[in-house]
Amino acid sequence: MALPNIQDYYVPGTRQEAVELLGKFGENAMLVAGGTFVHGLEVRGVLGEIEALIDIGQLGLAGIRSEDGKLVVGATTNFGEIQAHADIASAPHYAAIIDALTYPPAQIINVGTIGGCIAASAPLYDLPCALSALDASLRINGGNGAREVALGEFFTGLFENVLASNELITEVVLPAAPANTASAFLKLETNANDLAIVNLAVRLTVDSAGNCADTRVYVGGGIGESYARAVSAEAVLNGAPAEAASFDAASEAVVNDIEPVDDHRASAAYRAHIVKVYTRRCLATALERLG
Amino acid sequence: MKKLIELTVNGEHHEVAVTPEASLLNVLRGDLGLVGPKKGCDAGSCGCCSVHVDGKVVYSCMTYAVGAQGKEITTVEGIGHADDLHPLQQAFIDAGAVQCGYCTSGILMAAKQLLDTTPKPDEETIRHAIAGNLCRCTGYAKIVDAIKLAADRL
Amino acid sequence: MSVIGKSVARPDALDKVTGGKAYPVNFQLPGMLHGKLLRSPYPHAKILSIDTSAAEQLPGVKAVLTHHDVPQRKFTSVYFVPTDTKSLPQDLLIMSDHVRFAGQPVAAVAATSAEIAEQALELIEVDYEDLPAVFDPEEAMQAGAPQLHDGAENNIAVAPVMEFGDIEAGFAGADHIFEGTYTTQRAHTCYLEPRVCVAEYNGNDGYTINSSMQHLFGLREKLAFALEIPESNVRVIKPPYIGGGFGGKLDMSYIEPVAALLSRKSGRPVRMEHTRYEDFITTTRNPIKVYLKTGVKKDGTFTARYASSILDAGAHATHGAEVINVHGFAWLSSYHCENMKWEGKSVYTNNMIGGGYRGYGAPQACFAFESQNDEICETLGLDPIEFRKKNARQLGSAHPLVPGLTIDSYAMEEVLDRGAEAIGLAQRHPPGANGDGTTKRGIGMALFPFWVSGCVGFPDIYEHSGAIVKLNVDGTADVATASVDIGSGQITTLLQIAAEELGLPMAAMRMVDTSDTTTVPFDAPTHASRITYGSGLAIKAAAGEAKKRLLDVAGTMLEASPEDLEVVDGIVRVKGSPDTALTVADVASRAESPFIQFTDQGPAPTTLAEKGTIIGLSSMAPPSNPSPIAAGFVEVEVDTETGEVKVDRVVYSHDLGRVINPKGAEGQVEGGFQQGIGYALMEEIQFDPDSGTCLTGCFLDYKIPTAVEMPTQIESIFVESNEPTGPFGAKSMSEACVVVPAPAIANAIYNATGARLKDLPITPERVLAALGEL
Ligand SMILES: Cc1cc2nc3c(=O)[nH]c(=O)nc-3n(C[C@H](O)[C@H](O)[C@H](O)COP(=O)(O)OP(=O)(O)OC[C@H]3O[C@@H](n4cnc5c(N)ncnc54)[C@H](O)[C@@H]3O)c2cc1C
Ligand code: FES
Ligand code: FES
Repeated sequence: MALPNIQDYYVPGTRQEAVELLGKFGENAMLVAGGTFVHGLEVRGVLGEIEALIDIGQLGLAGIRSEDGKLVVGATTNFGEIQAHADIASAPHYAAIIDALTYPPAQIINVGTIGGCIAASAPLYDLPCALSALDASLRINGGNGAREVALGEFFTGLFENVLASNELITEVVLPAAPANTASAFLKLETNANDLAIVNLAVRLTVDSAGNCADTRVYVGGGIGESYARAVSAEAVLNGAPAEAASFDAASEAVVNDIEPVDDHRASAAYRAHIVKVYTRRCLATALERLG
Repeated sequence: MKKLIELTVNGEHHEVAVTPEASLLNVLRGDLGLVGPKKGCDAGSCGCCSVHVDGKVVYSCMTYAVGAQGKEITTVEGIGHADDLHPLQQAFIDAGAVQCGYCTSGILMAAKQLLDTTPKPDEETIRHAIAGNLCRCTGYAKIVDAIKLAADRL
Repeated sequence: MSVIGKSVARPDALDKVTGGKAYPVNFQLPGMLHGKLLRSPYPHAKILSIDTSAAEQLPGVKAVLTHHDVPQRKFTSVYFVPTDTKSLPQDLLIMSDHVRFAGQPVAAVAATSAEIAEQALELIEVDYEDLPAVFDPEEAMQAGAPQLHDGAENNIAVAPVMEFGDIEAGFAGADHIFEGTYTTQRAHTCYLEPRVCVAEYNGNDGYTINSSMQHLFGLREKLAFALEIPESNVRVIKPPYIGGGFGGKLDMSYIEPVAALLSRKSGRPVRMEHTRYEDFITTTRNPIKVYLKTGVKKDGTFTARYASSILDAGAHATHGAEVINVHGFAWLSSYHCENMKWEGKSVYTNNMIGGGYRGYGAPQACFAFESQNDEICETLGLDPIEFRKKNARQLGSAHPLVPGLTIDSYAMEEVLDRGAEAIGLAQRHPPGANGDGTTKRGIGMALFPFWVSGCVGFPDIYEHSGAIVKLNVDGTADVATASVDIGSGQITTLLQIAAEELGLPMAAMRMVDTSDTTTVPFDAPTHASRITYGSGLAIKAAAGEAKKRLLDVAGTMLEASPEDLEVVDGIVRVKGSPDTALTVADVASRAESPFIQFTDQGPAPTTLAEKGTIIGLSSMAPPSNPSPIAAGFVEVEVDTETGEVKVDRVVYSHDLGRVINPKGAEGQVEGGFQQGIGYALMEEIQFDPDSGTCLTGCFLDYKIPTAVEMPTQIESIFVESNEPTGPFGAKSMSEACVVVPAPAIANAIYNATGARLKDLPITPERVLAALGEL
């Protein structure tokens, strides 16, 4: 990879410095968290413009802490650290995260960051799909101060998001789970080192009457410009008994919410078919996890 | 414009002038003469370039050299040498896990992280631990055997 | 035998586990420049003009080439045929003003760094006239399709036909006739070391080349021809080993001649290395569409076999003009039948060019005929093993390729029986009957009944080898050969053969790793399953000659007749009286010593006749082309809801004559199955249907199996039939294991689900469609 316009690789020690650098280079700055997104950027054809690489590894943004029942994950926390976190690894509520992290190879687990794979804004990545289904939100910091944005509202298109050029994600917030909630995630891949042809995450809460409540179904992969929230499937589920028949009905509804693409990896029809199957399978797994 | 950086590779200290975007792989191979890590794709998808940074396996083709300053970098050359092989290196020879060998440097580093953290991995764990590394010659069977053999000997 | 049949460790493994220094990709010369190619974005175009002036001005740029600067002599890039071959079209130029595939090089730059060379490429202005392109070989044969090469009417590069007996009478005599069309895809070898070369111009029209390739002498010949210089002006350095080939480095690519010319223009050595994308668009296994029509009696005996095959050669014929023939041979020779006819066509399109790839036309053939044979057995209720035994060739029958030869070793029945027993074929369930819910299991098999150990009998293909074996005064031996180790273990097996013949332990053997085309005899390429047999025989002959000399000298020293001596484990001794013995080191030292030696008793003369290095030399063609026989058996699990197929268990049974190195042979099988499973289930080079641009130019898009997709159980059964003409009974090994997986898997999917898949790769999507679920 050659960056013809590159001026320097910066390693700011504070958030303030990082934001100043972002302000200086604007669109022509690229943050480096794990730095594994290069391939995606080549596809995007933006590498020629880059003037500054800004390494955010020294900003103290890594680590996971709890805050009022929420879990707050620093943006540069890597996949391995998330996998190893006892709360995340054990709670059925967070299981979709652990599911999503079974897919990347060790070399990506060790360096890929939660902030990086979100900010990359490509629905081919797995963790953001799972996080979306868990109602995660992002704390964003920049020249204009701090704000918090729901992950479901973060993406505005392929490689597009709501970040201003002088902003960065500092933390990812996982809200407290309602009682009796579990999640699950599945990815269709050709080999074990692949980006998703389709990926799908669900969160399922079963109320005291045994019905589904506040369900989330998110779909990624080649199904549109960014992750799709399957509201039709959620509507079918909410209030319906948490059982196979409801899951079947939801899986029929889910295709209303996606626009699968036809490409060299799979046809739109096949993607739609898999989304249906995975909706059913993920819901069944989540239910099983509730014991 | 190049900048002078300091790298610690296999316990040795180096000063080297690199471009800001230089990959660790190109610096190791081109500037430091450490040709163990190989370039197979330059895009984070073959694993031939795998090295350790602070004890964890990474794709050096996707690691910025400048960003690797202050970290402990280990290449295959750093885990053993002809008269003092690492048990994994010996096991790869004994089990017949080496054919063309182009993947070997990288797979050894992935396997090393596994054995550093999981002394007696089962077959499935071994296969997942090397899933970020492609081999086109061996079908992986003897590589898996070699990792088991090394685990037994360690 | 003391060395043959033992899993001795590879001598090259030590270097490879400690960093692998000797790959061509590591080769450098002082002052070396870096070359890069500008490639056409259009699949079919005329170059109207090229302006390189801005690129030439860029600081650091030392030379720029376009088609104006290169010889316009057409050649074939295929290494293993003579350049003036009549069987392959000479249709390739180093650079041309006529672009025939997206990615064809149109200009080249050498600069002080690869980055500068890349920047310079962006400054080159090319004015193209975009021409209509054709990507489908059947469309390319239609009237009105763009014509890609002069003299190739309807874009047909070659159209071989073979016919035996009376095909119509054969069909008339059949009880049943089966028809089917089978398609196979474009697949890449995926060697991991990129194609790379360093070329240096030496003045006086002479060049030295270091390259990652499978044939020293082929590169010399093709390069000299394309550059219009005498062959000996090109010196090709033999790499100690390369990072994989599998047939993908069996032809000269653009980089070698371009680097040579850039070196000449700049006066400095030039290195060129492919990106992975460039590797993906450089050579490939050709897609072939095969139509089969087969007549059988009720009992399964063939009465007529007809096949027609259409091969997509791509922009230039190269291997595609030969793959079609070998493909025809693989089909024709597989089973015996009195009445057979095959019609092949190799067709130009605006796709990337083809190439060699392990199996060379046979995977496409075997997928078709073994899929159909399974269908015949299932339809007629025949036992798949008995059916194959009935129709296969037999020991002692005529060799189907080489007139006058017979099949001297052929353990087909044992191969089938042992494999079937190990997988439990007789106990398998009827189609669709194993498993419940969405998981179905099945067992399938495929036989590859006839193949080659080299190329004796194929027109226009080189098949001779040579070697030099030299003993050292310390009792060790150096072996030199032009045969390149591409990873499959040639160094080891050839040294084992030499060690066995010489009577030396393996530890005493060393492969010379610094030879080149000026110092070693010709050897045909590392391809066509030929090394163990062809090069092995040459090594054995050279070792035999050295041994003869060794025994002559030892005879003088021991005052015995050389015929009465034997060499065992480095000791020369009189047969029957092992105490009358010398070490090989003693004998070699004596042969190398001064004529008169000073001893404790004063100066003592030895004989002049015994003086000189003990050395043996050979250059020879092998006497035959014995056939290996292989059968693959697989067990699969099919998810009938997603269409995903997982291969759980493999049994592979192979008659290889004699196992030289069991672990090495197993490694070939395991690796072969990785390529075969990838070919069966996931691998495919794809292009954008409009622009012709490759969509699968990296490992994120071109998927090959990782350790996770590979079955955990791969059992190799080696049947030793002892080929009488082979070195210690060996014939060949390493291609059949790539050929059988696809049909065995397809047949196992049939057994699991009742769905017959006739198109490769068998993607989950195709499985679902076949099940009627999509
Ligand atoms: C071989 C391979 C296999 C992979 N397998 C998987 C897989 O199985 N599943 C999966 O989900 N993903 C996978 N990935 C993709 C991986 O998740 C992405 O590359 C992801 O971008 C990783 O994060 P990073 O920290 O490396 O990002 P970086 O490359 O550092 O950054 C990505 C982008 O986000 C921006 N950015 C980074 N951090 C921030 C921040 N805090 N605020 C604002 N912007 C920021 C950067 O400027 C850049 O544009 C794989 C990648 C590779 C190369
Ligand atoms: S070269 Fe780094 S992963 Fe392939
Ligand atoms: S040994 Fe050749 S790629 Fe692994």
